Amino acid sequence: MTKKQDIRFIQGNVAMVEGAIAAGARFYAGYPITPSSEVAEASSIRLPQEDGLYVQMEDEIASIAAIIGASASGKKSYTATSGPGFSLMQENLGVAIMAEVPCVIINVQRSGPSTGLATKPAQGDFLQSRWGTHGDHGIIVLSPSTVQDCFDLMIDAFNYAEKYRTPVIFLADEIVGHIREKVVIREVDENEIINRAQPDCEPEEYKPFNHTENGVAPLAPFGDKYVVRLSGSTHDERGFPCSRPDNADKFIRHYTDKIEKNYKDIVKVRKYNLEDVDITLVAFGGSTRSALEAMNMARKEGKKVGVLQLVTLWPFPEDEVIDALINSKAVIVPEMNLGQMIREVKRLNDFNTVVQGVNRIDSMAITPKEILDKIAEVENESSRIFG
Amino acid sequence: MKSRYEIILSGVGGQGLVVGGTILGEAATMFENLNSTLTTSYGVETRGTFTKSDVIISKDEIFFPEVVEEDFVLALAQVSYDKYAKLINENCILVYDCNSIDPVDHLKARQYGFPITDAAREIGNIATANIISLGLIVKMTGVVSVESVTNVLKEQFSKKPKIYEMNLNAFNKGLEMAEQL
Repeated sequence: MTKKQDIRFIQGNVAMVEGAIAAGARFYAGYPITPSSEVAEASSIRLPQEDGLYVQMEDEIASIAAIIGASASGKKSYTATSGPGFSLMQENLGVAIMAEVPCVIINVQRSGPSTGLATKPAQGDFLQSRWGTHGDHGIIVLSPSTVQDCFDLMIDAFNYAEKYRTPVIFLADEIVGHIREKVVIREVDENEIINRAQPDCEPEEYKPFNHTENGVAPLAPFGDKYVVRLSGSTHDERGFPCSRPDNADKFIRHYTDKIEKNYKDIVKVRKYNLEDVDITLVAFGGSTRSALEAMNMARKEGKKVGVLQLVTLWPFPEDEVIDALINSKAVIVPEMNLGQMIREVKRLNDFNTVVQGVNRIDSMAITPKEILDKIAEVENESSRIFG
Repeated sequence: MKSRYEIILSGVGGQGLVVGGTILGEAATMFENLNSTLTTSYGVETRGTFTKSDVIISKDEIFFPEVVEEDFVLALAQVSYDKYAKLINENCILVYDCNSIDPVDHLKARQYGFPITDAAREIGNIATANIISLGLIVKMTGVVSVESVTNVLKEQFSKKPKIYEMNLNAFNKGLEMAEQL
């Protein structure tokens, strides 16, 4: 039987909501903020139609607290915000990491710091999404570049959250959140959807943090026959506070390892014309669109330019970036910040590859022309090296 | 039609330019199997300050979604006319509302003034200026067909017959005005 498909011309923010619903999400709590407000608006309309619940909270601290609670009660949950709200969410993001509660936090990036330029795009939260909350931890961050991504990748976001019992950051930007373009809203097969494991032991034997070698412990919902103790304090397998050094060591490593050791499952990239390149453009989010346009223009001029799009930002796609550094004479990183992702690229560059950025922080998208100019500049500067 | 057509709808917040752009994009993507993107630029104010929508319609996939070389500019406010009039080149068509805009002479672009505000009043609601403009755009460019836009209007408004009729009248009015060129 062919599945139903619905072709629509909608904003990225609205497609995110359809993706969340398709993934099984039925609870949203948030505080509307530009440029993410359409996520709240669409959620308020769509969730009640799907027997879900939308709650407008008093602020972003309460919003993330509410989705952690709702998820612990068994509903797949999400919130959406932008810079100032994302900053407010950092403490409770740590709670979700520590208590290992699945949830999805959408951050539609805008120009900052602080209130900044509320209606304008930026990509300045790249590092905050990795290290914004305190303490050692792993985190999964996904970044869409099209409205179709906003739908499809949102399903992945919830699947990862459920599979690894972790908050997932959906790091969009104003360009992708607000652009309208064609999207196929497809009926998702239930085999595509991952739901968190449930315990089948006797209630007195249940330990919510009794992780196995290769996976996370089943998470029973609050209010069921199992007692579930969730805490932001360092705890043992049962969820009781525990200050033993060996216990702290074990669990803090676990928060990183459960993400990093599943690198191959989590890391997604897209490769465009990378078989034969002199210059690779490494990009994410809305800037990918500028990079792809620049690549096509450069190819028309006979230049061997390719694009490596990082769809997963964290864990950082090190293997794929290393391949790009080895296989290219130069790597150019266009990003709407003063050079956050390029730090990661340079950290991996043991190959003397030329690495340069194209950066904009004036609230305007990077134009393909700017990337083309940088390509020409790198070619000129490096003609001695390139031969 | 060119393989990529770039349109700017400009004016001030509250004139329905995003709605107008969305209707064009829906006509292209949902009824003509073309690609389209719509991006908007606006300030933190809800109404009254400069705003624009970039509509791109293309046979090919669209990556960079901002207008680089305008094929058509609609100006519904003096502030937006002043911003674009002198920038655009001879291949661009500039359409402006002559009820609210004082034009300048000797532009590179071909410019056409239409009494869009008066026509909207005649239709019965000044908020239909955006839909009248759609009629002008469709007739003057052929970027999408009349039928595709009519289909979108029907899908969007058919549950509200009076509003549907008003918008259809507005669209037809725009087509007629362009016909008289």
